[in-house]
This record gives sequence, C-alpha cells and structure tokens, in this order.
Amino acid sequence: MIKIVRYYISSFLMVTSIVAWAQLSPGELSTPHASLEGLSNCTKCHTLGSKISNEKCLDCHTEIKVRVNQRKGYHSSAKVYKKSCILCHSEHHGRQFQIIHFDTKTFDHNTTGYTLEGKHTSKHCRDCHTPANIVDQQLKKKKSTYLGLGRECISCHEDYHQKTLNEKCSDCHTYEGFKPASRFNHSKARFTLRGRHSEVDCIKCHEISSLNGKPFQKFKGVKFSSCANCHKDVHNNQFGQKCSDCHVEESFKKVKNSGSFDHNLTNFKLEGMHTGVSCQSCHKGSLTAPVKHARCADCHQDFHEGDFVNRNASYDCDDCHDVNGFKQTSFTRERHNEGSFKLVGAHLMTECSACHYKSLKWRFCRIGRACNDCHEDIHKSYLDSKYYPEANCLNCHSPENWQDINFDHSTTKFPLQGKHKEKSCRSCHQTRATSASEIRIIETAKLIDSATSEDLLQFTGLPSQCMQCHEDNHEGQFTNENVTNCSSCHVPDGWLVSTFNHDNAKFKLDGKHKNIECVKCHPLVEGDVKPYILYKTGKTRCADCH
Amino acid sequence: MNRGPVQEKKDNNDIIDVNQNDKMLITGHRIYLFSMVIFVVAVLGYLVFSGISYYQVKIEERFFHPDYLRLKPSGIWGHGLGIIGSLCMIAGVATYMIRKRNRKLHKVGVLKHWLEFHIFLCTLGPILVLFHTSFKFGGLVAVSFWSMVAVFISGIIGRFIYIRIPHTIEGRELSLSEVRKMNTGMDESALERRIERLKRMQELFRYWHVAHLPFAIIMLVIMLIHVAVTITFGYNWIF
Repeated sequence: MIKIVRYYISSFLMVTSIVAWAQLSPGELSTPHASLEGLSNCTKCHTLGSKISNEKCLDCHTEIKVRVNQRKGYHSSAKVYKKSCILCHSEHHGRQFQIIHFDTKTFDHNTTGYTLEGKHTSKHCRDCHTPANIVDQQLKKKKSTYLGLGRECISCHEDYHQKTLNEKCSDCHTYEGFKPASRFNHSKARFTLRGRHSEVDCIKCHEISSLNGKPFQKFKGVKFSSCANCHKDVHNNQFGQKCSDCHVEESFKKVKNSGSFDHNLTNFKLEGMHTGVSCQSCHKGSLTAPVKHARCADCHQDFHEGDFVNRNASYDCDDCHDVNGFKQTSFTRERHNEGSFKLVGAHLMTECSACHYKSLKWRFCRIGRACNDCHEDIHKSYLDSKYYPEANCLNCHSPENWQDINFDHSTTKFPLQGKHKEKSCRSCHQTRATSASEIRIIETAKLIDSATSEDLLQFTGLPSQCMQCHEDNHEGQFTNENVTNCSSCHVPDGWLVSTFNHDNAKFKLDGKHKNIECVKCHPLVEGDVKPYILYKTGKTRCADCH
Repeated sequence: MNRGPVQEKKDNNDIIDVNQNDKMLITGHRIYLFSMVIFVVAVLGYLVFSGISYYQVKIEERFFHPDYLRLKPSGIWGHGLGIIGSLCMIAGVATYMIRKRNRKLHKVGVLKHWLEFHIFLCTLGPILVLFHTSFKFGGLVAVSFWSMVAVFISGIIGRFIYIRIPHTIEGRELSLSEVRKMNTGMDESALERRIERLKRMQELFRYWHVAHLPFAIIMLVIMLIHVAVTITFGYNWIF
C-alpha cells in the first residue's frame, strides 16, 4: 500500500513537471504575433470570461482603429464593419498561419471605398501598394501593409504636368489611360478648336520638350493670338499676318472672300484680260495650290502649235503678245527687221497675213526667205530663167516697187538704143493672155499686186524685127518679101531722124529739087486704114510732076 | 484490489448447466453488447465521415475550411465532443468504481456487465475527445490526451490479461489453491502449466493496475485544468 502511495506521489510530481513544461496555448501563434507567445501574454489578447474583444486587437492595431473610427477603408465597409476581428484574423494555428488571408485575385477593392476602374483593374496590388507611395512614416515601415495610400492621383502618379495644370487629374484623364486625356474638352479652353484644328494631333501645337530634366508637354501658356504662333507663314508676310482674311480653319486650301482677294499682292499681278477671268480658269483645283505662272504657256495653249519652239529657249508668248488681248501683238516691223528677213520697201506696208497666213493657218517661222516662197513667179515661161537664176526676183525687181525694174537689156539679143531706152518695158513686152494658165497667173498677180490682165508681159520669144512692135506707117511700101527693114532709113534715136539718102533712090535730088518740100513730091494719100505718105510714087519723069 | 466480473464460460472450460432462463439472459447480454459496439462504431463512422475533409487539412489552413467553425475544438461540434467525451469517461469510471468498491451495491447488476459498460463509455469518450482535439495534439492538454491514450491502451491490455485469470461467477478471482482443488479431469502436467501461467498473469495484472489508474488520474487532473482555463477565457460552449 505504501508502495502505491509512493507511486502516486511520484506520478503527481511528474505531472506537475509536465504542467510547468507545457503551456496552455492551444497552438502556436502566427509569425506576426510570435512575440506574444507565453502564459503571461494571454490576456494581451484574451479578455477573461469573454473570449476575444476587438478593443484589445485595436489597442495594438491603431492604424486600423484610426481608419475604423473615421469610417474609412475596408474595415469600415459593410462587409466587415463592427464584426469580430477574430472572424477573419484567427490565431493559434501555427507559425506559418496566414493571419491576414488575403486573396489578391478575388479581393473586391470596392469594399475599401476606392473603386478600381480602367487600367487600375489590371494592376497588381503591389504596383500601387508599395512603401514608395505611402506618406505616413510609420506605415511606410510596414512592408506588407495595404494602408497609407492617398486617393489623389499624384499620391502615386508622377505629375507629368509639373504643377502647370490643376491637380484634379480626373478633369481631363480617365482611368482608362493617361493618354488620351479623353475628359478634356478643348472647347472649354480659351482657344476653341474649329475645322481642321479639331482633327490635328495635340502634339502639333502642344510640343513635347523637356522641363527640369523630364519630358514635358506644354499645355498652358501656348501662344495662339496669331496663326503664326504655330503655323509657318508660307507667304513670307506677303499678305500680312491676318491669315483669317483669306483662310478658314476647315482647310488651308479653302479660301474665303476670294472676290476681295488682292491678287496683285502675289507674285503674279492680274492685268489686262487676266482681270476678267474667273479664278478657276487658272486655279483648277484649290485656290491655294501653287499655280505655275512663270510662263504664259503654263496656263495658255500654244496657239502657234510649237511654231516658235526651239527658236529660242526663253521664248514665251509675251515676246509678241501682252495681257490686253491675243489678237493684238507687240511685234513690230522694227522687231521683224531684227530678224533674218528684213522688211523693206513694199514689204513694210504688206499685211502680216500676206506672208504668214497660208492655207488658213498662221505660220511665223521657217516660211522661207526666197521670193517665190511667197510670190508667184509670174515670169515663168515668159522669161528665160538665165535672167533670174534661182528665181531670185531681186535681179530685176527691188522690194521698193514691183514696177521699178533694174534690168540690163544689153545682156539680151536686143540691146536698147535711142528711143527704145525711153520706152517702158510694157511698150514692147505687153502681150495678151491667150491660155487658161495665163489667166490664172494674171488672177494671182491681181491678188498680189493689184495687177491687170495687161500686166502680163512677155519677155521671152520676142522677135527682133521692128515690125513686131512698130506699125508700118508706110503701108508696106518698103516691104520686101514680107520683111520690112526700117533701119535702112530710120535709127532708134527717133523716127524723124533718118539715115535716108535720096541720092541712093532711083530719083536723085539735085538743083532746085534739093530745096523743095518733100510733100511736093510725096503727098499724103488715103490708105485702107489711114492716110499715109506715098514714097514710092513711081514718078521719075519730069512730066509726072511738072 | 477488486476482482473483475465473471469471465466467459468457453474460456475457463467450466461446465455450467444452461437452463432456459440462462439462455434468455445470454441473448439479452448479447443484445446489450451488440448495441454498445454498434453505437461506438456508428459514432466513430459518423465522426470520420462528417469531418474527414476538415481533419485532412493542414493545421495552418484549417481556418479557411468551411467546417472550421463547426469542427474546431472550440466550435459548436468540437467543443461539444470534448464536453460529452469527458463526461462519458467520468461517468464510465465513476459508475464502475462506485459499483466495484461499494459493497452495498454489489448486488446491483453483474460486475462483468458494469465492466462492459465501463469499457463502452471509456471507448466512446476517448473517441469523442479525439475528434474534439481535431487531431491537434499540442500544449498542456496534450498531456491529458496522451494520458488518456495510455489509459485506453492499458485498458485494452488489461482486458486481455484479466480474462486469463479464473473468476467466480460473481467475478471474484480464484486463488491458486482453489484452482488446484478443482477437478477438471485435465492432464496433471497441463494443469501445472496453466497454474504457472495464472501465476504470471496475476503478477502482470498487479503492474497493470499501477499504470491504468494513475494515467487516468493525470488525464483527469489536466483535463480539469484545461476546462478551468477554457471557462476562464470565456469559452462556455452553448452555455
């Protein structure tokens, strides 16, 4: 029995030692609370007789207490407000127990009072909840805290605008992204965007530069009083600085008040006929599209169809024409004479069309310089070509006057002597038109020189006998075998000048006969056509007269 | 020390006349045993079935299990299991000890049946307490728990030593001389071997008593501390 009592005593000693060794705790505390292990600490969390109270939790967790008192944050949300802390944050489940069991994937951020929208929804928690974004120095030290973030954008985001704009980012930006600032309404700005301004990229006016060593896009203080603040004056101040007098915001190429536009401010002054044409005549597309205007041919068709091309590299219409009308020309005879074909004599008075309008077409260049390029060779077949080689009329004619002939008749078989020299060519060379071709030549000659049918002269094939031209006043008294040789009595110096020697006649004059008038023996008798002097009287006997 | 109840007939080879009345008693006893076994197995099965998913979870993660609030040691179920289990054990020990030690009560029922009832309550109780711990064996109360396990195991061992010792029908142990006097018609040498074994068993049983009860007391004391602490901190179950 004593043995048994002794045994029980030893057993109790063993038990008490176990009690001393063991602890009452139902399990290890989690790591954050590990410092609270031990019998003496139980009542730091537990209230005797009433389990766990929130007050004891919040006495330590003052950062949560402040938030709850302010009715802010997740712990003030309807989901958890006034609920027992221990319902979510249990203990005595071992060191590794997650006392804050926080599923970041399913956590409803709306319960914190800060709704995640747009880009915020795709961020990881720690993208925002980092010490860098926490202002409170105590909270900053808590590396796992989710507290301490401000609601203002700039509490996390850098102020790109570097305080040049107001701090209420949401006036312009949405949570969908910093760019574009879709809430921004430019119509509320002092510079209202109209026309193309509303389509243009922001960066065109609000340039990105650098400020304080950081990229910076200027939004405030952009000058806009003049278009030239942003736009380059492509006119180089030619039309002044008030662009809106002509241009509208719909398009630079659209022009208003084109009627009042002073075209003379441009490099191309409108003068003459140009003042009367519509803008579209020259400005086929946009009024502002550059129009070539250095040369007339830039707008005008070449009426002359290339007639003057290659003639001169700098050739242009205004060499001859001006803006007052196409039909008038500033091309003078003086200028014509600067060319290779000088106008002299009758050519000076000739209308341009006589030479330059052929076959119902005006031709000005390369129409030929030879006379017969314009003039009809009316002597053809009437004059031996040896007298005007290469059909050069100038051998005989001068440009001064067609009628002024400078022909050396001595080169012919019939040198002119005496009275022949005084006669006009026509006196001997005029003939009558006999064939159709001759009539045509005459008609052409009429057109050119206002000639008559009598102007057709025969210069070739003329016989040299006197009777070819002269009339036989002697009614054939001296014709011998159809040939009448006038030169046997007459000379070219005059009809009355005679080489006749009465002594060579059958009846020699001597005595008184030498002094009597011829008419005493040679009377004027009536002929078939007209009266004539009878020379061959046949009276050789005295009695024939006496 | 007191003796256990009457051992089973087939084990001690005693020839006992079995009349009709005895047959009914045996049948009733079988129903009594069977119902207790079924009850224990059913409770065990149900506890396993309803809590296996929770108990398989690591300690650190149990808090997040949907059954946590029900099956945690301080939960509505878990706490209840602890209280009822403890009461079962206290009742099982108390009734058996009172019946066995109080001579005035020795006519109340058969001691063997009281032992069976003791075994029943003290099997059911630890099972409930086991599930109360939710298989978390830490802290002071773990000493109580492991003491309980020691008592439980020693009880099973004791049960098997005990049935090796001849008892009177009332359950009193027969002395060595009483066994010798019995004419069993057995071979002398075989009888000698049995008597030798009986001696050894009685020796063992003496040591067994030294283990079974002290562990029970350790368990009880620490359990009371555990209960006191629990109540102190305000965990009153449904009360």
